[in-house]
Amino acid sequence: MLGKSFGVLVIISVLFALFTGSGEALSSGAIDGAAKAVTVSVSLAGVMCLWSGIMNVLHDSGAAEKLARILSPILSHLFPGAFSTGCAKEEISSAICANILGVGNAATPLALSAMRKMDSALTGDEASDDMIMLTLTSVSPISILPATVVALRRSAGSADPFGIIVPVWICSGATFVFTVLLASACRRARRSKGRRD
Amino acid sequence: MILLIPSFLFFLPGKNYLDSFLRGARAGLKGAVSLVPPLTLIMCAVSMFSSSGAATALAGAASPFCRRIGIPEDVLPLLLTRPFSGSAASASYAELMSRSGADGFSSFYASVIMGSSDTVFYILSVYFSACPRVKRTGYAYPVAVASSLFCVLFSAFICRIFY
Repeated sequence: MLGKSFGVLVIISVLFALFTGSGEALSSGAIDGAAKAVTVSVSLAGVMCLWSGIMNVLHDSGAAEKLARILSPILSHLFPGAFSTGCAKEEISSAICANILGVGNAATPLALSAMRKMDSALTGDEASDDMIMLTLTSVSPISILPATVVALRRSAGSADPFGIIVPVWICSGATFVFTVLLASACRRARRSKGRRD
Repeated sequence: MILLIPSFLFFLPGKNYLDSFLRGARAGLKGAVSLVPPLTLIMCAVSMFSSSGAATALAGAASPFCRRIGIPEDVLPLLLTRPFSGSAASASYAELMSRSGADGFSSFYASVIMGSSDTVFYILSVYFSACPRVKRTGYAYPVAVASSLFCVLFSAFICRIFY
């Protein structure tokens, strides 16, 4: 999957650069990208250390399990596998909480450690339904206060920087519901296909 | 706020919570290091794609269609970079606001998109980079594409009502 998408993107880019004569921009783009990968990982390393440390403390003290139990009536519908086997359910609950509270930089490391746990419990080479649900709920979180956008609008001289908040609530909420419904439909389709085989 | 909870726990007698923090942090660092190789590949490809001009050309091809469904043309570069790169999208968002005014319809629409969508492809590839065993991602990418399309269209509809 990773190899194929890399191939497609690179082939399109090279063909384009040949036609438009932007070869120099292309090669500097490739080097920039490689350098950025390290910058991103390094900046992630610190927060990942911090949050997986905190996660471990919460786990050992039993707080994470309590959180998972409080949220389980809702989350067990979204993550049936994790909540029936107990694998990674504490990480999933904390990641979802962080996402809703708008602490995005806490949500990523928590979700990543949930992904790694689910990965090591995986049989076969295809992503499980719970893994896909976690990635999808992370890409369309319900944003309560889009702080960055409001700040950018204010600095651009908008008369009403907060005017976008209600439409953002509606749009992000609707997108979230749409994503969850579509993902559960796909999950059901995959299950019934698996049963027929 | 959330940091307060573990700090209180450090004072409790009995269990050694500092030790459990350090164990967790070590695992986190290992995870971050294993992220570097796959991430290099992805970032490289995405950066090549946007610097070759293929993204802008796509925007040109899509503009007649967008005009019909009521999406302002000047937002297109933003819509196309948004799924791939947060910094590129922020740059084109700032540029759009300085060009067409902070309170124009294009800027309003762009703000809603920036607030309610995310860098879908980027996040998905980072998440799956953490999973060495996953070779096939199932329906993750198709659903992600569908939900970003839904967000774009639905926002256009909502913005027309609110603006």
